[in-house]
Amino acid sequence: MAFREINSTRKPCELSFDSGTLLIRGFSGDQIDRIFRRDQWRFDPRVGAFRTDALNYRNVVETLRAVDTPTPVLFDRVPQWVSIEVRGRAAASPSALKLREDQLTASKSWLATRRGCVIMPTGTGKTEVALYLIAELARSALIVAPVRDLMYQWHRRILDRFGVDAGILGDGICRVSPLTVTTYDSAQIHMPQIGNRFALVVFDECHHLPGPLRQDAARMSAAPYRLGLTATPERTDGRHRLLDELIGEVVYRQHLSQARGRTLADYHVQRIPVHLSDDEQQRYSALSLTVRDYIARRRELDPQFDWQSLCSESGSDPNARRALRAFHAKSAIEDRATEKLRVLEDLFRLHCGEPFLVFAGSNAMARDVSRKFLIPCLLSHCRKRERLDILQGLEQGRYPGIVANRVLDEGVDLPDVKVAIVIGGSGSSRQAIQRLGRILRRSRFGRGTIYEIYTRQTRDETRSRRRRANDAYQRRVDS
Amino acid sequence: MLTSAESILEYDHSANEVRPDRLTRQTHGHYLVFAERMLAVYRRGIGSTRRDLHHRVEAICGSLEDCPLRRVRAFCKLLDEASNYRTDRRGCAAKLRRDVFSLAAPLHPLVTEPDGLFATTQERAKKLIADELGKTWSQIDEQLFSDVIEFQRLDDFPGYPGAAALLARYNVAQTQAALYRAEELSVWSRTDHKFILRYAKLARLMHSIRRNADGFYHFRFNGPASVLRQSTRYGVAFARLIPGLLSCRDWDALARLRGPRRRWYSLKLSSRDGLSSPVTAPADFDSRVEADFFREWGENPREGWRLEREADLLHHGQTVCTPDFTMIHQDGRRVLLEIVGFWTPEYLASKAKIAQQFDGSNLLLAVSHNARLVLPNTITAPIVFKTRLRPRDVLCRLAEMR
Repeated sequence: MAFREINSTRKPCELSFDSGTLLIRGFSGDQIDRIFRRDQWRFDPRVGAFRTDALNYRNVVETLRAVDTPTPVLFDRVPQWVSIEVRGRAAASPSALKLREDQLTASKSWLATRRGCVIMPTGTGKTEVALYLIAELARSALIVAPVRDLMYQWHRRILDRFGVDAGILGDGICRVSPLTVTTYDSAQIHMPQIGNRFALVVFDECHHLPGPLRQDAARMSAAPYRLGLTATPERTDGRHRLLDELIGEVVYRQHLSQARGRTLADYHVQRIPVHLSDDEQQRYSALSLTVRDYIARRRELDPQFDWQSLCSESGSDPNARRALRAFHAKSAIEDRATEKLRVLEDLFRLHCGEPFLVFAGSNAMARDVSRKFLIPCLLSHCRKRERLDILQGLEQGRYPGIVANRVLDEGVDLPDVKVAIVIGGSGSSRQAIQRLGRILRRSRFGRGTIYEIYTRQTRDETRSRRRRANDAYQRRVDS
Repeated sequence: MLTSAESILEYDHSANEVRPDRLTRQTHGHYLVFAERMLAVYRRGIGSTRRDLHHRVEAICGSLEDCPLRRVRAFCKLLDEASNYRTDRRGCAAKLRRDVFSLAAPLHPLVTEPDGLFATTQERAKKLIADELGKTWSQIDEQLFSDVIEFQRLDDFPGYPGAAALLARYNVAQTQAALYRAEELSVWSRTDHKFILRYAKLARLMHSIRRNADGFYHFRFNGPASVLRQSTRYGVAFARLIPGLLSCRDWDALARLRGPRRRWYSLKLSSRDGLSSPVTAPADFDSRVEADFFREWGENPREGWRLEREADLLHHGQTVCTPDFTMIHQDGRRVLLEIVGFWTPEYLASKAKIAQQFDGSNLLLAVSHNARLVLPNTITAPIVFKTRLRPRDVLCRLAEMR
């Protein structure tokens, strides 16, 4: 067998980082089998060495340290991380940071193993916990955030706290320094090049990590210390179980009910149904008929025929294509029902003088609202400066309120508002919690109100019902 | 390049094969007319928004019975690729929004019908703001979101030389998009080994090399982590290899990817598929010295030795060297010849390293006399030439080697 050729006595043993994986040279196959976890290493004939995921770095080093029998001298060429100087370690102590009791408990639990996930509801200061831990470890750290906006927000928080202009990897910028912020997509792409330059990786909103390709952001990193932050670890595809392997087990968990009224504002939810206008209803019914007809006709021939089949057939069958187009047109009518705008106007009158946030289900609807009421809309095309102006404007009262689509889905720090109005969006539970978390931050306005405007007798209603089934919506539904 | 959202694949479940969407003259001849009309939409569409252009292309495709939405979107994408849109670099739209919303803020809430409490109607607010900014409201409305991608306006359309070129680009783009999902790619090469490996290296792929009994080379391409788990991680690199690969001669390729129900399917490609490469074919010779030597040797064997260009690869791990010539004796002996002209010191150092690494593999070096001085002594006696390398000198050395 090929790996017998590796002479373990002559060559020095070497552990190195190679494009998001580890290579070990100088061990025989027997030694590998004896020392390491079963199947941890694979022989790679292309380079004549054993290979494993960079993720295993900490385990490999710990395993080698624990071996009784003397092993050859090992040159560990993996770590390229450095100590970092964050402005006055003392200034970063728990008391100086004014960490709350629960934040301190979360930090201590993580420090016990230096890996794992911290689960806290949105608005309870996960960022504070992470900044404290970064200062505590004082070694090269990479922070991975879901979107550009959040990446820049981390950059700003680091600048405010440590006075460090952190490196940025993403949004067309490639500036890597010992303290760097990035996005999941960029991390996934660049980890083979930078995976051994950070001792700590912080995965913000870490429920994004377990996607099939995105998990490479964790697998291809050699960082021995890993911190995951999220309010909502659960994924509908069940992949959240992978987080144990990729980051570490949950070390701290706080439930929404624990935070409510204490660190988060008290709130209640009011649901307002609207009807489609006659014209919309007519178009909606006609479109529904097109879709139903087509599916019914196909089911006569094939009882198994379903939505999936429709999508795949739309390639070859013009009728299927028509049905699919009708379906999309239907969704657009639900989403952009004009009645929603009328109700919105009533709510603006009712809450005149109170800052508000409107969450739209699509960019088009967000622009409809912005154009009609002449309030700023925060969309993905907004550049950094405009985004900042809009958010500061809302905080300083220069703008009465703002309308947003998915940009604000998660984690972006928003000024305190009292009124949130949901006029569309997906029915998934995570989106619901994250959105509510926005206005739940304890604010000077006290109790907050969430309105939900949905179109009656459409799929909009089903989605709204699904949202309500969630913990965040559970109490105080008044309608 | 297209994204997976525009990719169209046809699965052949009985043969376990997958074929990317392909529009040829035989099967889709009628598309030429439509492609020409799409190009016309863009050529005449200077000043239109991206969304309008896409709607017009959709309308053209709407009359095609066999044109799925994904194909329409792919056409839009490829047409956009060859377009220049007006981007609002100076942030004029953002500034306009700021002005409009700031002026509107004190008037909030804007109402449809005024009542005792709130008197400013939306119409009135728009009039006030328009006057303040010295524009009409319809001008403002047109510019307000002009930086949003779908509302950007076409500035200029370099486009494609013609309908056939657009369809050719489409076919290559669909093949590339299919490869995003591939987990491994094999290429069987008969002639252009060197270039195929060079393009693979540029695409940052790793290779395994085997030579079949019939002299073909079999390259298996994937990435570092492929030995640990199946991954589509290197799919983009395969797609990047395609333009280069298509410019090479005489090869077959097979990619493996997972289809419905996670079953394996193969995607077959070859240099005879008629896909046209956007890359020009590689230059014939690296240098004059090589070209002259090849011409002077001629087609007939000399003293029993036949000369072939770049026929053999020397490889060890991930290092590959393709000597310029292979000399094959009628008794079956093969000797390799690498010609080193005077280039940069780095180039010479890398050549020296390779020569050392493959010492003992019947590799002869021919070195220009001024390069000889800077070449390390470690290299065993190269053939030294002045301005051109003569077959006579090489044959002389071959005779000594006996």
